[in-house]
Amino acid sequence: MTATQSQSDTRIPTDIADWLTERVASYLDTDADSIDRDLPLAEYGLDSVYALSLCGDIEDTLGLVVEPTLAWDYPTVTAMAEFLRAEVGA
Amino acid sequence: MRYAAFGDAERLEGVLGDPGDPDSVFSHRACAAYDDADAFPAEICAELDGFDLASRYVPTAFGGRLADYQDCVQTMRMVARRDVTVAVAHGKTYLGAVSAWVGGSQEQAERVGALVRSGTPMSWALTEQAHGSDLLAGGVTATRTETGYRLDGEKWLINNATRGGALCVLARTDVNGGPRGFSVLIVEKDKLDPASHTPVPKQRTHGIRGADISGIAFDGALVGHDDLVGREGTGLESVLKGLQLTRTLCCALSLGASDHALGIATRFAGQRRLYGRALAGLPAARHALATAYADHLLIEAVSVVGSRAIQALTGEMSVMSAAVKYLVPTRTEATIAALRKLLGARSLLRDVHEDGAFGKNERDHRIVSLFDGNTLVCLNGLVNLFSILTRTAEQGAVPDAGGLALAASVTEPLEPVDHKKLSLLPRRGSSVLLALPSAVAEVEAMAVLDADLAPLAAAARSLLDTLDGVYAAMRGLPPAPVNVPPASFAVARRLAACLGGAAVLHLWLRSHAAALAEPGPSTPLWRGGVWPTLALDRLLAMAGTPTPAPAAFYETACAVLTEQVGTGRLTSLFDLDLAEAR
Repeated sequence: MTATQSQSDTRIPTDIADWLTERVASYLDTDADSIDRDLPLAEYGLDSVYALSLCGDIEDTLGLVVEPTLAWDYPTVTAMAEFLRAEVGA
Repeated sequence: MRYAAFGDAERLEGVLGDPGDPDSVFSHRACAAYDDADAFPAEICAELDGFDLASRYVPTAFGGRLADYQDCVQTMRMVARRDVTVAVAHGKTYLGAVSAWVGGSQEQAERVGALVRSGTPMSWALTEQAHGSDLLAGGVTATRTETGYRLDGEKWLINNATRGGALCVLARTDVNGGPRGFSVLIVEKDKLDPASHTPVPKQRTHGIRGADISGIAFDGALVGHDDLVGREGTGLESVLKGLQLTRTLCCALSLGASDHALGIATRFAGQRRLYGRALAGLPAARHALATAYADHLLIEAVSVVGSRAIQALTGEMSVMSAAVKYLVPTRTEATIAALRKLLGARSLLRDVHEDGAFGKNERDHRIVSLFDGNTLVCLNGLVNLFSILTRTAEQGAVPDAGGLALAASVTEPLEPVDHKKLSLLPRRGSSVLLALPSAVAEVEAMAVLDADLAPLAAAARSLLDTLDGVYAAMRGLPPAPVNVPPASFAVARRLAACLGGAAVLHLWLRSHAAALAEPGPSTPLWRGGVWPTLALDRLLAMAGTPTPAPAAFYETACAVLTEQVGTGRLTSLFDLDLAEAR
């Protein structure tokens, strides 16, 4: 998956939480296994302004337009995935 | 050409009079005396209050006279060109109030607007002694009470903290902090129990010596529910959006300081005689002046597009403001430093040349690249946007052509400001960058018909190549959400140069016809693409891809500069008679 995927060939990952974990791990330059999905991303030192750019990945991959502050309102992978699952299903 | 944003600036000049006249209130002599005494320029600020300057900080939607931000920039430039300390001391009120404009309810914004218009100085209490620019580390707490919040803790290095009557305070409303753990609260000192707050003494400083750079300590200060700006937890968001505006408005301080330094240096070069002729007759001196003027025109162009973009490309201000706040102050510092060499000893002497204003101006201006998001913070802001900028470019995102044309067409009236359109991210990328290829093509097509435009076309092509290199560099960098490597900052500097260069090109393309149709002393700068070619020369040198402008262009610029300074006009792409001309 690349960050440049266009909206037309958007594929929704079967497990949004897995996909988000992989994105966060790549931002943090670490393995997906080392990400605790219930720990706030800020605990990993993820800059709060940088976290805004996650909304671009979400828009590209899920075709969802979300508020840039999504990662502030749903600060863990689990919380974000739950929100996104509901949005995709809606 | 006249610039419509000069209306208030012209009126203010008429009120303030010639700053070289020691009998006027806002004279260079008076400013030097305040500076010597580390004294707040109270009498001068009172003169500005007499002009009702503060009502120009309040958007018309909230009861004030701020219709267009570009006017605000040019009016504050007139203050800063006389004295940066005064501009910082008075203009701070806008920063104190901006949270209400971007994050508050209509009622709150009107209430803060009324405070500002009544002449109450306001301040913006963000930073604390232990945490510098790291706002989320802040320790001042706002604890819920039955009637509102209780504030505890100390804010430090706050401009106007002691003299100001009201503040917007960023405080922790969730003990765990985080991006949703902070809120902005409006604090009116006269509504507090006097025992619940104490001023932290003013710090003595090497520049802006008269400014009230102090602090405030809260100890159980009680504010009401209606003093909370927006919802609880929206503090960081409203501060970041407010900073998009204030970082752009900071241009006024740099522009004014650059006007001031250029004026002093140009007059000096005209008067000083060496080896039997005026210093201004020596080629090296002329080149130094012309180069400084090229930098000046560059920051003016970027400021014009940046301030118009607040209303024309509102949702893109995260990228625009970071580029502007990096470029404009640092270019101005370089300009002043270069002119200092021309002035030699007189830049350091207190009493020999123009009340020692050159050295004071340089000391005063240093604050601009430090406050309100310092240079590294702004570059880091650009680094955070690398992914969205590369992605939108690769996807061929469509620029907001209408918004961009409006931002760059100085004769077009702007849409009213809508602060709700500010966004933390430029969702559709940067129109200024996305439209660069078509702008370059347009210049190249013009150059086919008009050989005089060949240097501009070459510079434009070089800018596009440079941007391509910057895109490649951005793609090649790993995401950097934790520790940003030095290489990312270097790329961010080049990106800022490209953003500035693109703004320059769009401004010339969309405004040169109007400029040539209304001839004036500045017309030679617009003819044959002289000023954008010079500005791109400066920017491309900065980006590491030098594309020198013809020597004749520098001669043209030097002639216009000499004429503008000699006749008491503003050093500008546009024609404006200063008080000195009257």
